[in-house]
Amino acid sequence: MSVKQISVGPDVQFAIETHYRAEVRLWQTGQYREWLKDMVAEDIHYWMPIYEQRFLRDRRSDPTPDDAAIYNDDYGELDQRVERLYTGTVWMEDPPSKIRYFIGNVEAFDAGKDEFDVYSNLLVYRNRRQLETTVHTLGREDSLRRVGDGFKVFRRKLLLDARVTQDKNLYFFC
Amino acid sequence: MTGDPRLVDTIESSQSREIFWDKDVYDLELERIFGRAWLFLGHESLLPKPGDFITTYMAEDKVILSHQPDGSFRAFINSCTHRGNQICHADSGNAKAFVCNYHGWVYGQDGSLVDVPLESRCYHDQLDKSRLAAKPVRVETYKGFIFGCGDADAPSLEEYLGEFRWYLDTIWEGAGGGLELLGPPMKSILACNWKVPTENFVGDGYHVGWTHAGALAGIGGELAGLAGNRADIPFEDLGLQFTTRHGHGFGVIDNAAPAIHVKREGWAKYLAETRAEVGRKFGPERERLYVGHWNCSIFPSCSFLYGTNTFKVWHPRGPHEIEVWTYTMVPRDADPETKSTIQREATRSFGTAGTLESDDGENMSSATHVNRGNITRDGRMDSSMGAGFEGPHPVYPGIVGSSFIGETSHRGFYRFWKEMLDAPDWTAVKANDNTWDSVFTNREYWTDKLDAVE
Ligand code: FES
Ligand SMILES: [Fe+2]
Repeated sequence: MSVKQISVGPDVQFAIETHYRAEVRLWQTGQYREWLKDMVAEDIHYWMPIYEQRFLRDRRSDPTPDDAAIYNDDYGELDQRVERLYTGTVWMEDPPSKIRYFIGNVEAFDAGKDEFDVYSNLLVYRNRRQLETTVHTLGREDSLRRVGDGFKVFRRKLLLDARVTQDKNLYFFC
Repeated sequence: MTGDPRLVDTIESSQSREIFWDKDVYDLELERIFGRAWLFLGHESLLPKPGDFITTYMAEDKVILSHQPDGSFRAFINSCTHRGNQICHADSGNAKAFVCNYHGWVYGQDGSLVDVPLESRCYHDQLDKSRLAAKPVRVETYKGFIFGCGDADAPSLEEYLGEFRWYLDTIWEGAGGGLELLGPPMKSILACNWKVPTENFVGDGYHVGWTHAGALAGIGGELAGLAGNRADIPFEDLGLQFTTRHGHGFGVIDNAAPAIHVKREGWAKYLAETRAEVGRKFGPERERLYVGHWNCSIFPSCSFLYGTNTFKVWHPRGPHEIEVWTYTMVPRDADPETKSTIQREATRSFGTAGTLESDDGENMSSATHVNRGNITRDGRMDSSMGAGFEGPHPVYPGIVGSSFIGETSHRGFYRFWKEMLDAPDWTAVKANDNTWDSVFTNREYWTDKLDAVE
C-alpha cells in the first residue's frame, strides 16, 4: 500500500462498503461458490500470515508470503477450500454452524487504474452445536479492482489479533 | 500410589473412559509421564545461531530453550527465582541474557543468575546468586530434534527412542540431509484430552476415509480411494502399523508420501531422487517406508505426518484441554521453493484452517466431553481392531500389525501409558524391558504369514 494515500470520495466509499456487506451476506448464507465467482479475482493472493511475539528490539523483518501462514492461497486453492464445503461429508458442518461478521472502520484509498487499497476491522462470531461460541477479531488489508459495476478482491491480507487461536479451527472466509 | 489397573486393559485392548476425563489420572500423568519422559522442545533449525532462543512448553511448564555460545543447547524453566515472574515473553529471538520484568534480575543463556539490580546497595552483596539459577531441564538432541526431560533418572534420549530410532533414521537422516522444522508454529486451543489427538496420529488409519471423506475427494490422487471406507479396498496391501517398547508408533501407507499435497512436484522429485540412496544405506524395507505416508506419535505428546509433513505437539492444559503447536517438516537439503511449497501444502491440509485437520476438531473434543456424564464415563473404549494380526517381525523392530487400518499402535501406546502410570520410577520401567511385548501373544504371526507367501 502506498505511503501517500488519497481517500476515495463518498460515492466510492459507499460502493465499497456495499460490496463488503454483500460479501458478508454470501458467507453468512453459505453461498461460497457465488462469492468466489463474483467477488474474488482469478489472480487473488489470499494470505493470513503467522506473526510471532517478538521483542521490540528484534530486527527481523515481518513475514512474507514465503513464510509460515495459516492461509497462503491462490484462486485454485481457495476453490478447493470452497468445494470441500459442498461435499456433504463435512460432518462438523452437519447440522451447519452459524457465523456472523461485523465489519467496521472501512477506509478506502485510490490506488490508481481503478484499483483501491482498503483497510477494515472484522469481528467474527461463530456458534455451533448447542453451546459452542468463539470470537475472532482481525485486521484486513485488501486490494480491490473495479470489475463491471462492482469490485473483485485480488490481494487480501488478514491479520489475526490472537497469537493462540481459541477455536477448533479457522475454517471460515474473511 | 499406583495406577488403577482397570484404566487400561492390555488383554482385552480397552481403556476406561476416565483416562480422558479424570483429574487424578491427569495429575498422575503430569508426575509419571510428563515429569519423566523426553518431551519435544524444538529443532536446531528453529534456533540455528548462538544466542537464538525459543520459548515453549513441557506439558504445563514454560521453558526457554537457548543455543549456547559453544553450540550446545540448554533449557530452563521460564520463571524467575526471585518472586516467580515469567522471565521471557517473546516466542523467539536472539539474546545474551534474559531480564525479568518485575525487579530486573538478569539470567544468562544457560539460566544462571548473572546480575541483580542494587546488588551491593540493597542486598549488601549477601545474595548467593549461584544458588538462584533458573531451574534447568535435561536437553538432548537426536538428528537435530531437541528434547527435554525433567527426570535425572530417565534413560538417555537415544535409549528412550530405543528401537524406534530404526524407523526415525529412515526419514530424520534419510539420504543424508535429514529433516528440519519450519516455524513459527501455529498455536490453538482445543477442548480435548491430550491423548485423543496423540492416539489419532499414532494409529488411526481407520478414521481417514470417514472423517476426511470430503477433503480426500477434493484432493484426488492416491488417497481419494479411501473416501467412505469402502469394503472393496485391499487395506492389507496398503501398508503396515508399528509400535515399540516406549509407546512410539506409526502407520504407513505405501507409496503415498506426498499424496495429500496438491502441488507436489518438488517434494515428489526430491523423494524420487533420494530414495535409492536410502535403499542403499538402510535396505529395501526402509526404502519402502521412506516413500510411504506415515501417521506417527512419539510418546507421549508429539505427532507428525511424514509425507504431508505437518509436525505437532499437543501441550496438555488440564485433562480437558490442549494447546496445539504446529510446525512443518522439510528436508534440510531441499531447494527453498520446495520447502516453501511443502509448508504451504502441509498448512493448507493440517494447519489451523486445514482442509483435513478442521474435520478432526469435533472428534477430539466430543470424545473428551461426553464423559462429563457420570453414566457415560462409567464405561470403556475399544481398541481391538486387528488384535492377533500382529506380532514380532523378522526385519522390522518392535511389534508390527498387518495393515495401516488397525489399532496395533493404539495398543502399544496405551500399554506403555499404563506401564508408566503404574511404575514408581524409571527403574521399575526398565525392569520390564525384556517382557514388554508379551501382551502381543501371536508370536508366530509374521513368520507364518511370510512363509505362506513364499
Ligand atoms: S520476580 Fe523476577 S526479579 Fe523479582
Ligand atoms: Fe484426521
